[in-house]
This record gives sequence, structure tokens and C-alpha cells, in this order.
Amino acid sequence: MPMKLIDALKIVDEGANRDLRAVRVGLICGFAPTHFQTFLGAHFCRAFKGQRAQIESGLYGDLWGNLARLETAKTDAAIVAAEWADFDGRLGLRGLGSWAPTALPDILESVRSRTQKFLAAVQSISTEIPVAVSLPTLPVPPVSFVPTWQGNACTLELRSLMASLACELVRLKNAKLVDTQRLDCLSPLRERFDPKTEMLAGLPYRLPHASILAELLVRLIAPAPAKKGVITDLDDTLWSGILGEVGLQGINWALEHKSHMHGAYQRFLHALAETGVLVGVASKNDPNLVREALSRDDLILPGRSLFPVEASWGPKSAAVARILRTWNIAADAVIFIDDSPMEIAEVQAHFPEIEAILFPKNDYQALNDLFYRLRDLCGKTAVSKEDTLRAQSIRRAQDAVPINSGQSVDEFLEQAEAHFEHDFSKDQSDDRAFELLNKTNQFNLNGIRLTEPSWNKFLKEPDTFLLATTYRDKYGPLGKIAVLAGRIKDNVLTVENWVMSCRAFSRRVEHHCLHAVMKRFNPERIVLHFEPTPRNGPVGDFLSDMLGERPAAQCEITQKKALEFLEKRMPATAELTHG
Amino acid sequence: MAEMRYRLENCFAAVFPTLSEQEIAQADHLNVGQWDSVASVTLFATIEEEFGIEFSLDEMPKLVSFSKILDYLETNVVT
Repeated sequence: MPMKLIDALKIVDEGANRDLRAVRVGLICGFAPTHFQTFLGAHFCRAFKGQRAQIESGLYGDLWGNLARLETAKTDAAIVAAEWADFDGRLGLRGLGSWAPTALPDILESVRSRTQKFLAAVQSISTEIPVAVSLPTLPVPPVSFVPTWQGNACTLELRSLMASLACELVRLKNAKLVDTQRLDCLSPLRERFDPKTEMLAGLPYRLPHASILAELLVRLIAPAPAKKGVITDLDDTLWSGILGEVGLQGINWALEHKSHMHGAYQRFLHALAETGVLVGVASKNDPNLVREALSRDDLILPGRSLFPVEASWGPKSAAVARILRTWNIAADAVIFIDDSPMEIAEVQAHFPEIEAILFPKNDYQALNDLFYRLRDLCGKTAVSKEDTLRAQSIRRAQDAVPINSGQSVDEFLEQAEAHFEHDFSKDQSDDRAFELLNKTNQFNLNGIRLTEPSWNKFLKEPDTFLLATTYRDKYGPLGKIAVLAGRIKDNVLTVENWVMSCRAFSRRVEHHCLHAVMKRFNPERIVLHFEPTPRNGPVGDFLSDMLGERPAAQCEITQKKALEFLEKRMPATAELTHG
Repeated sequence: MAEMRYRLENCFAAVFPTLSEQEIAQADHLNVGQWDSVASVTLFATIEEEFGIEFSLDEMPKLVSFSKILDYLETNVVT
């Protein structure tokens, strides 16, 4: 449901009165921004908890001038909403330029040249700040002489020019584009344009369309954190049939059994697993039978992609709890899928934060909708090296961690052949560092989430530093698993952000990170911006251990004391520092 | 009628958040500093959305105060 204007006005007003930190967003469009700007403000307020957006728009009717005038140094992010009339005034209702057949080639030529200009402008802005873009969302006006039910060269050429521009835009590192197909689903084409307000006030969008478009643009700038794992049921979910009743050969997921929807579900989970989403199983079943079933080589989702597999007759919530412990992630980062409403309710009662979804058995439309929903919940802009390592490293950790082998952490580390790589380059293109900062909960110094603009701004400041640490040992690589960021000023090193992936626990990575920054900057004192959160117990424990007392906010330690503590606990390892 | 008045007050409060309840009841484009052309566009859009109506071009210039808009709604909106 689109937001109502009255609600948007109230949200914006509440944000303005709460003295929240403002994120400055440049709105670049050629139409009157009025309601659209209000909706952007309201959706930003919802997306940026604890912050508000100060949206600054440019001059009416001058998209190109507004693009050129945007002061990226004073702006955290930009939103560019272009419409047909911006590419050629004749494509709007307010402009009265000719629609005669002889004018059409010139309209096309002008749009073609402006798409190039548009790309160059967005590219230039995106080197400085993140940009969210929407290309024309309104229907192409009936400029062509051909009946509107008949495809015509002019309209097709216009759409083709925009499609080509869209392809170029999505290749830019720091620019994101509203997807037209998704917009079509949410905002029907014929309900977008308001000719009355366009002609009278230069405001082309109907209110629901303005709200929906604003929401999608805000999501591009401030995306919700992606879910990290999916826990799936087996019987009548991953496959059709009850394994305990029909046996190994009785379960199926193919067209000939009319159970193809389960095959399609397997294919989707496999695709998710290949992007680094963890996929585990919680099934009330005989574990031996499940083991055999998951070794069937005709599964679309190979059994090896599932970890852990919790098959037992106990409550599903207990299985979910064990899986969460193995993955070492919180329930709110996980989706639970089961065909039984009772199991959904039981798990939801124990884990209210989990996204519990009923598998839509025999409801093909709902299954198709589920795929879109899962894509939205787990979607990411790029698949990183760490994404491909995640499932393997968790599986290896099960075999290698000291608690399973009876080894102490020290004994484990001595034989693990650990190798650390500390990178101090303040690389703005390092998406992994930004991702870790925004999705880590347990080893997180203060739980502060950063927006991409504020992160980029931080990196540009001369007194700041960034450490990104990569780890591997004889059990395999974990990838980039820790980020420590702060400032060095007057011989005091201030740590403002410090996160470590839960996969790196019990390897003393945190000791190595702190040691690496001390070696590099040689500060007299270290100040840590610690803030307890409901989940950051592990970082609190580490600091207690180092300080010898429970840490206060803004706790500090001398270099001497910190080094004594760290060096006692760090076995000799291979370390490489660069950047 | 009381409900209609209440809903209209809400629209005014959203567009002019600094006005008190009493000031809203007496609001007129001449005595409310923020009531400029942009605020008019927002106010009419908010009222149209709230009451599911569309003001005609002939009427809009006459609807320059809370009481005039309320009169218009009481005459033209079926509750």
C-alpha cells in the first residue's frame, strides 16, 4: 500500500522536531518536486532509524542544470528522477513543441544525445556520492501518428534508448537504478500520470505513484539488511511426500509427478546458496533416512549445499536454535520455511524475530510470489568472494573448532597455521568492509550502522584510518572477516567502529587487529567507542578481559597495557600488512 | 459533520504543523504566513486524498480558508 500524503507530512514533521542527525540528499528532477519530495523525506525517516533526510531540490524544469549544480561535497547522496520531458520538452504535456511526423526524427535525435549527457552526469556524481536513479516512469505520450495499440518505431526507439541507458547506469559502481518491472507491479502504468497537476503545477505524478517511486528510490540508497540464512523443512516442502511413509524412492519433485513446484523451490534455494545465503534443514524425520535422501544425486539442490541438517523428532524450535548456534547468527537474519502452520507458529513463538513463511503447497501463484519475496529478502548487489566461502567455512569450523576437538584455543591456534593479511588502504570501493560494518551484530563495538554516504565521507577525512583483515588457516580461507576504523590524532588512537564476522571467533583475530593498528600508528593511548547493545556481548567480554573490568562507553587503555595483554595471547603467526 | 471537521483539521495540521487547533479553525490564506501557492497545492492534494474528491478549477480559488473548505466539503461530500 502506498503511503498517504497526510501520513508522509506527519512523518517528515516528526523527524524535523526530533533533532535527528540529517543526511543531506540532493533531489534532481525537472518537475515540481512538492509531494514527491515529501514522500522521499518520509520514506527516508523510516529507512534511516535515528536519522532524517534533508532533501534539497533544484530549479523547476532544469534537470540538466540541477545535475550540473549538485554540490557533491555538501551532499551525502543524490536521487535523480528523470521523465520523458527532461530528455525532450516535446515529450511532456506542458511543452507545446510539434508532434508533427516531421518532428519525430528530431525528437529521437535529441533524446539520443541527452541519454549520453545523462550517463556522463550520473557517472560524474557517482564517483563522489551514491546515486539512485529512476528513468522515465510515465507513459510515452502519443507523439507518433500510429494508433496507440500498434507498435511504432518512434516509441520503440525511445524505449530502446532508455533500455541502453539503463544498462550503462547499472554498470556504474556507485549508481543504482529503479527496476521498471518491479515498479510496473507496484504502480500500474495508467495510474501514474496526473495531467491536471502536471498542466497546472508541473507535478506529473499521482500521489500513489509518487509514494511508490519514492520508496523504491530510498531503498536504493538505504537498503534493508539482507537475510543471511534460510532454514527449510523437507517433507512436502523441499520435496513432495512424507519420507517416513513413502520411502526414499517415493519422494519426488518432478513434472511427471505433478510435484514440479518442489523442484522449482529446490532450484531457487540452490541459487540462493550459490550467492552465499546459508541453507539449513529443520525436519521432523529419521536422521538416517534423511541422510540417504539428501544423497540422492537427482536433487536439484545438492545435499552438500545444506548445512546443518537437523533431522529429529524434537520440536522445530529446538532444531532452529541449534542451527542458529552453528551459523552463529541471530534469528532476525534468518528465514524459516515450512508447510505446516503449526510448525510455523511454534518456531515463531520461540523466535519472534525470525521471518517465518508458510510453504505454499499446491498454490502455484503463491510459490511464484514466494520466489520474488525471497529475492527481496536475500538480495544483494554483488556476490563477493566471502559469500562463496561462507558455507564452506562454517562447515569446516564444525570440524575444526577447539570445543569439538577437546583442544584449547591456544592449542588449536598453534597447529592451525593461521595467516593474517592487514590492509590499511582506505579503499572506498571495498564493499565487503562496508557490508561487514552494517551486518555484524555480536562482535560489534557499538552497533552503529553507517550509511554509504557517511562511510565514504569518513574515509575521505585525513585523520581517519581503516583496517580490513583477511584470515586463512590450514582449514581454508575465511576471507575478509574484520574491520576496524577510527582516527589517529595527537597520539591518541580512537576506534569508532570495530566489527568481526562471527565465523572468525575463537581465532584471536580481534587481538591481531588491535595489535596491527598499534604497530602501525604507535599511539600512546587507545580510546574505544564502546556501547553495549543487546547482542554485542562478545566484544564486551573481549574488552573486559583486556581492561580487567567491565568496559564503560568511551573506554581507554594505554599502549603498554594493551600490548602486554595482546602479546600474551597471540601465538606466532604469519602476518602481512599493506596499504 | 463533526467527523468531517476533525478530518479536515488533520489535513490542516499535517500541512501547517505549527498551527494550534484554534488557529486552524480560523485559518485563512491571509492570516497564515506559510499558506503560499506551494502550501495550497499540498493542502488541496491532502484534502482530495483524504476525502476521495477532486476540486474543480473554478472552486479552488474560492477555497481560501478553513471554514470555506469545510462548507464546501459539507455541501459536496457524501458521508
